[in-house]
Amino acid sequence: MVELKNASFRYRDTEEGVQDISLSVYPGTCVVFTGVSGCGKTTVTRMINGLAPAYYPGDRSGTIAIDGKNIDDIPVWQIGETVGSVFQDPKSQFFSSELNGEVAFACENYGFDRDEILRRTDRAITVMELEAIRNRPLDVISSGEKQRTAIASVYALQPKIFVCDEPTANLDQEGIEQLKRTFAKLKAAGHTLIIAEHRIAWLNGIADRYLYIANGRIIAQYTPAEINAISNRKRREMGLRVSVPIQIPNLPEPNAAQPARIRTKLLCCHRGQNRIWTDLNFVAHAGYVTALTGINGAGKTTLALVLSGLAPYNSGTIYLNEEKADAARLRKAVYYCSNDTGTQFFTDSVSEELLLNLERNAETLNAARGILKRMRLYNVKDSHPAVLSGGQKQRLAIACGLLSGRDILIFDEPTSGLDGANMRLIAAELKSAACNGKTVVVISHDAELISACCDFRIHLGTRITD
Amino acid sequence: MRLEPFAVPVKLWAFCCVLIAVLLTRNGILTWTLTLFALAYTAMQRRWSIVLSYGSFYALLGCLLYAIRFHQLKMALFSEFHLILFWTLSPIAVVSWDLIKTPPGELSAFLSRMKTPTPVILGLLVIFRFFPTMKAEVAAVIQSMRNRGLTAPAFLLRRPLESLEFILVPLLLRCLQIADQLSVSAVARGAERPGTRGSYFGNTRLSGRDWAMISIWSAVTVIFLIVGDVRSWSN
Repeated sequence: MVELKNASFRYRDTEEGVQDISLSVYPGTCVVFTGVSGCGKTTVTRMINGLAPAYYPGDRSGTIAIDGKNIDDIPVWQIGETVGSVFQDPKSQFFSSELNGEVAFACENYGFDRDEILRRTDRAITVMELEAIRNRPLDVISSGEKQRTAIASVYALQPKIFVCDEPTANLDQEGIEQLKRTFAKLKAAGHTLIIAEHRIAWLNGIADRYLYIANGRIIAQYTPAEINAISNRKRREMGLRVSVPIQIPNLPEPNAAQPARIRTKLLCCHRGQNRIWTDLNFVAHAGYVTALTGINGAGKTTLALVLSGLAPYNSGTIYLNEEKADAARLRKAVYYCSNDTGTQFFTDSVSEELLLNLERNAETLNAARGILKRMRLYNVKDSHPAVLSGGQKQRLAIACGLLSGRDILIFDEPTSGLDGANMRLIAAELKSAACNGKTVVVISHDAELISACCDFRIHLGTRITD
Repeated sequence: MRLEPFAVPVKLWAFCCVLIAVLLTRNGILTWTLTLFALAYTAMQRRWSIVLSYGSFYALLGCLLYAIRFHQLKMALFSEFHLILFWTLSPIAVVSWDLIKTPPGELSAFLSRMKTPTPVILGLLVIFRFFPTMKAEVAAVIQSMRNRGLTAPAFLLRRPLESLEFILVPLLLRCLQIADQLSVSAVARGAERPGTRGSYFGNTRLSGRDWAMISIWSAVTVIFLIVGDVRSWSN
């Protein structure tokens, strides 16, 4: 059992942290911390796994006990045997380039003998349904498989408790479905699950209790029935996303007979032996938001890169305003916004980033000021992009696209790690850009986003592999 | 004969042997014997990509050397000196390539058995992850630069230093971010536990095939030095 009594934590040299957190998490149950970005839910998970203050320096007060033992009396490596931690971005936490080595990593650290390491590793791989990728390099597996590999590495230690910090932040819908099955399996096996998450719909049927955190404090507790009964209006006020999965709306495909801003005819793309897609006819119109959906590996991101002139294709034609366009012309007309913000920023301030490579006249400066305010980034306009939170970085990347002046804007999973309030903000901005004559294409599986702003939907077919 | 990787000690021994042989010999051209043996050694481990790619490169090197020596070929970029240097260092390149391609887990298993401190082993694992990770990050940065119009020739010519900064700054920041995430992940998975690390890979004993290869590498090195003449370091 995990017990927190008036636990508080404040990060060194900042005012950020959490106050007076009291709760008991019983064995075999699933507790979810939710709330808007920066509310403190990640800090609570860090207190439970001992990383705050062992790794993240700061001041902690109150009592935290795991199975009756005060956490202050246990070294952090020993906590790791009981409390397994799963983080947001698995790919930058791997120590090995292949599955067996990565899953065995924690067992190796705890000095088990080789037979025991082999037994635990094999079991974790089987339970997490990773047998099929045993011989593939970790760099090429899907995001969902990477997250399950990270969980398998923790599972191999057989901890009683799993603490997860936004485990779906980098996952597509297929990855989330796989993760849901995995967590259901862990709970059924008697493990305790403590999860900090924005996207709570996938936890419907797994979670036993939801704790709503705001400004570093637990404001409310809900049972699944109670959280599902919250009205849409109140949910918006709280900045929450829906708590029950909703279906992607049945939107029409864009009308190919009408003149299009961008169009492809019989486009084919291969990568080595893999045929990504063949004879693809894609259409997007000015003034509308088009959702691009499809299963993992269907080639959505590849199509976005090809349409942006950032990746090659094998045959077929791309038309801009019904005229043939080469890659150089596409790069001038199309802006691609990736959801991985790690390598997207180049300057030393948020405002410089927005204005990078743009002509600085009164109109641009006014537009930049306006978008900073609307995106709630004005108070950090002089900060270095590297110090922004994940949600702020994502909003800045989207703002750069909106201000780029290009006619076609492609956003790749723009709301994957955003809370309800920011998701709705982005939906409004995309809708407004379309109303101003832009062609907006959104690669997304976020049913809430698609419902809120998309006019058309194109679904890429199943993956075709030779 | 079984075609499978040799144990890490064999690979380290092979590396020591070629290093000693190449450094001590007076006859650089004769290193072709070592290179051919090194390629055969990698083929015995089914490292076909090394055999094919380096084999082709080595054949090209041989043709160029032949053309320079016997047909007075002149090249703009490389002189005969450079080609002989590549030629002489080839056995080291082949054996090192094989060593680098060894799964990091096998190397860490070997180091664990040698009672190497955990921070050293983790450092080695991080180094092995560094190169593929950075390769992907560099590609992502360049793609972002192209997307923002920062790779246009006019821009590169007008602002060359700034362009370099655009690559280096996000890469350095990403390095820091990844280092931080790796550290958290290691700490949360017991990396700070005192005591000896276990290992998933590797048997604790060398097989007969491994011992045979150690003996063969030793013999090849000795024979090579006898035939190829040992360099005198006194003058």
